[in-house]
Amino acid sequence: MKAFELIQPASLDAALEALPGARDTKARDRVKLLAGGQDLLGELKEHLIEPQTLVNLKSIPGLDAIEHRDDGSLRLGALVTLARIEEDRTLRERFALLAEAAGAVASVQIRNAGTLGGNLCQRPRCWYYRHEQAVCIKKGGSECFAYGGLNKYNAILGGGPSYIVHPSDVAPALVALEAQAVIRGKRGERQIPLEQFFTLPSEGSVLRENVLTSEEILTHVIVPAQSGAPWRSTYLKFRERGSYDFALSAVALRLSMDGDKVRAARLVLGGVAPIPWRCEKAEKALVGREIDAQTAEFVGKLALEGAEPLEHNAYKILLTQGLITKALRKLAS
Amino acid sequence: MSLDPRALALQEEQPPRPAAPGKKWVKSVRVQNGIDTEVWEEVDADAGSSGPSWGARADLRLLNHDLRRIDGPDKVTGRAVFTHDVRLAGMAFAQVLRCPHPWAKIVRIDLEAAKKVPGVLGAVVLEGEEVKWLGRPIVAVAADTPEHAEDGVRALVVEYDVQRFAITPEQSQAPDAPKIAGNRDNVRVHETEGELGAVEQALGECDAVVEGTWRIPVQHHACLETHGVVVDYRGGDSATVYASTQGTFTINSDAARKLDLKGARVTAVVEHMGGGFGAKFGMGLEGDAACKLSKELGRPVHMLFDRASEFLAAGNRAGGVHVLKAGAKKSGELHAFMAQVERHGGVGPGSNQKQPYIYRPATSYTQVKSVLTNTDSSRAMRAPGHPQMSFAMEGLMDDLAYAIGMDPLEFRVRNVPPDRRTTYERQLRLCAELIGWNKHPHRTAPDRSEGELKVGIGFALATWGGGGGPECKVEVRLLPDGSVEVYSGTQDLGTGTRTYVAAIVAEELGLELAQVTPHIGRSTYGAANASGGSTTTASLAPAVKHAAWNARKQLFEHVSTLIGVKPESLRCVGGRIQDVNDPDSNWIGFKEACAAVGGKGISAQGEWQRNLAGSGVGGAQAAKVRVDTLTGEIEVLHMVGVQDCGLVMNRMATRSQLNGGMIQALSYGLFEERVVDPDLGLVLNANLEDYKIAGCKEIGLVQAVLDDGDDNRGVIGMAEPAVVPGQSAIANAIMNACGARLREMPLTSDKLLMALRGAKRG
Repeated sequence: MKAFELIQPASLDAALEALPGARDTKARDRVKLLAGGQDLLGELKEHLIEPQTLVNLKSIPGLDAIEHRDDGSLRLGALVTLARIEEDRTLRERFALLAEAAGAVASVQIRNAGTLGGNLCQRPRCWYYRHEQAVCIKKGGSECFAYGGLNKYNAILGGGPSYIVHPSDVAPALVALEAQAVIRGKRGERQIPLEQFFTLPSEGSVLRENVLTSEEILTHVIVPAQSGAPWRSTYLKFRERGSYDFALSAVALRLSMDGDKVRAARLVLGGVAPIPWRCEKAEKALVGREIDAQTAEFVGKLALEGAEPLEHNAYKILLTQGLITKALRKLAS
Repeated sequence: MSLDPRALALQEEQPPRPAAPGKKWVKSVRVQNGIDTEVWEEVDADAGSSGPSWGARADLRLLNHDLRRIDGPDKVTGRAVFTHDVRLAGMAFAQVLRCPHPWAKIVRIDLEAAKKVPGVLGAVVLEGEEVKWLGRPIVAVAADTPEHAEDGVRALVVEYDVQRFAITPEQSQAPDAPKIAGNRDNVRVHETEGELGAVEQALGECDAVVEGTWRIPVQHHACLETHGVVVDYRGGDSATVYASTQGTFTINSDAARKLDLKGARVTAVVEHMGGGFGAKFGMGLEGDAACKLSKELGRPVHMLFDRASEFLAAGNRAGGVHVLKAGAKKSGELHAFMAQVERHGGVGPGSNQKQPYIYRPATSYTQVKSVLTNTDSSRAMRAPGHPQMSFAMEGLMDDLAYAIGMDPLEFRVRNVPPDRRTTYERQLRLCAELIGWNKHPHRTAPDRSEGELKVGIGFALATWGGGGGPECKVEVRLLPDGSVEVYSGTQDLGTGTRTYVAAIVAEELGLELAQVTPHIGRSTYGAANASGGSTTTASLAPAVKHAAWNARKQLFEHVSTLIGVKPESLRCVGGRIQDVNDPDSNWIGFKEACAAVGGKGISAQGEWQRNLAGSGVGGAQAAKVRVDTLTGEIEVLHMVGVQDCGLVMNRMATRSQLNGGMIQALSYGLFEERVVDPDLGLVLNANLEDYKIAGCKEIGLVQAVLDDGDDNRGVIGMAEPAVVPGQSAIANAIMNACGARLREMPLTSDKLLMALRGAKRG
């Protein structure tokens, strides 16, 4: 990797001070935030980025707190490691979906170092993007090489002009949990639904995957208390290699039941689109239904509505429908 | 035992000339590039009659038992020094610039900017004209730290004239493809065997005919320790080269040439090495560069590959396409067979792949072609050619068995070579018993019923030579304090050589394993062959045994004069030397005997002994898988491997070898594949994230069984055969489970899902 200056701020304000202004678009890649480093170090070593400055967020006290608030909600600092999310007892009881998703990330070693904020802000894994010599549209080039190339692992939903998939496991789970993102910038703090944090390549800049500007830091994630009737949930991740791998497809499903019938549902897909893919039509269709083979088939079709597979990834439709069936069956039983 | 009936036939029916006095001719199997070749060899007529013998297996105390590796604690604690770990005073770290294009002419190389990078000590050009494969080294840069070396490489200025390339076999075979090897066609027919007309006629006589195209990707050796050397030449007339190599003696002469030194003045050191699998012979282009840099700088140079280089330029298992068509009679006879085999070996011809593998059809026709591409040449890889041949042939065998409604196990037994039938049948039936085939409900047709989770079982066979030859010289020293030291230049690839070297000597001298100290991995010790074709143990172990036997004889001669008992009446047992005829005798302790020899001690030499080695092994494996028809998930629940292996030196290490082979085959079958973008001319997965290798969660129950049922043969190498059939058995198990025949590796969920959908529609 290229040599860089390391800044170790003692406070968020000091960290923000080290960031370039939002309008200074060229400076964007000159300064990078370092959390667990599990993605960033790879990018540095592969020379995908060559920043002059790294701002180490680990030196800021308090960003690694897990707070279970009295109202039943959860406030997680961006620097909480995935391993702690996986293991926190109260979190596991109240937000099993999130713990399950965190436990599905990569390997034990990576979960011990990798953080919540880093996982949500990680860059794509597309092998064209990760190859220094392939100057693709995500790296300022003009073409998505995956579109007409070897696209087995790429998007079937929401693609174009880039066909990356969002690699996060915790993102679909948190979107299904209706989490909020807390963002600090030089001009103050904002809070937005996490669902709106992620951007499609056709919406925001194709160079980015979320709404963060270069002068902002994702500081916390808030998960609201689980209201109403008890919710059941599951995160099913399909990995080509079980020992450690990104998802070929993943399903985050929450159901609130009224007897045998669904009262409310949240269904979010991972590994198939450039963002965590919320399936609102399928969610609505589930309400009032009993869960049986027919429902699963119907919901699976609705969830994948609009899917446009590329040459090598039509299997993702079948796979995702298979996972949805399994998730529904699991929660119904 | 062989790929082709003719290879097994003696090249000459009669010995080339009458035997010399005191000599006789014997047949011997030699493995050359993975091919069994039987040759005549002239040996001492009385060899084996009065020399060392392994003795009855029941009498062995250490050999043929479970022995813990004596270097295990060093390895797990990190004390073991691998080539990567070598650190010498003033050492420079080198890196190379690799050609980023599959084919380019080099217009200009400018080293100046690189030389100005802080810490950079020197740079040498390795190729200034033309490069015909992606990843070939062009310039090497040395610096005071690895980081500065990398900075130096990135600062190099090279101007390329990029040529139109053919990086995939499809591109190479296009009508207007650029010719990679001068005027020669990219496609070359290597051999054609059999008569097509006869096979076509025979196909007409069959009760069932099946055909298919099997596609085999390029696999990587993916050694845990990447390739490389540390060259320590600081002027003068001698040098030391530390190498991660499969052949200590493949290093020193090469290095001497590059350093302009006499071969004997260069010492190669291979203390520990982290895997080779066939890709680590000689120093390579990068080793040459390290010599140049060390000579130029007068410093030791550390030149070890980074992980990406290990994928681009460290060799690979050739890919291939096998188009097979065959017919069987209802009786179970494999009656007609034809094959078109394509080998994909990059700029090389690809390793040996032909057909039919193991099984003997009544009539057969085979054509073998190689297709060149602008990628690095394939190298030998653990059982070169065999896993590829097995994948296609074993799939065809199951398809045929099902086509005539026969149990694939019985179909195999019916069609193996008659001289190996007893062995293979015994092994297959044991596999069947251990994997639960006899209670399996779908033995003559795949289970094509509806259902989500389905279980299937498949079988496949392996064959290998594994013989040895007169390649090693071993010394055993007995010192006056009773120390026993063994010296051989051989290398330990991680398979346990050190341990059995000590065990053989301890066994012979009636000592405990810990009382013998082995010294290996240094070219100043006795000569040893490179570890290729599973020939190490069958070459080395007899020479170690011979040296130990000679040492014991010498020791007995001394003891005999001391105590007045004839040498031939003595034996070593439990650290004592006793009279054979009197088990209660306790003549003299081993240590006391050594002390009595005096300051000069004993130095005994050993050479290969034909009667102590064997060759030619078979093996059978079975796999049980569970497939999920909703997601395409393929889970290998259980693998069984039954392997005949001659006299086993260390049962635990041998089971480890077999386990490792089965796991490597599982990984090959389910995950491994070099992915190349044909338009960009790039390898997309030159890393351990995207080049997937099985981890612990992918490996089900792996059961390695040493088959002692065969005979009383000597030592046979065991590295290769276990890696041959696993992926084939898995593919057959998938077919058995759900009726989907996957003919393209890796056997991934996407392919299974699409095949199942195709079957539903079809």
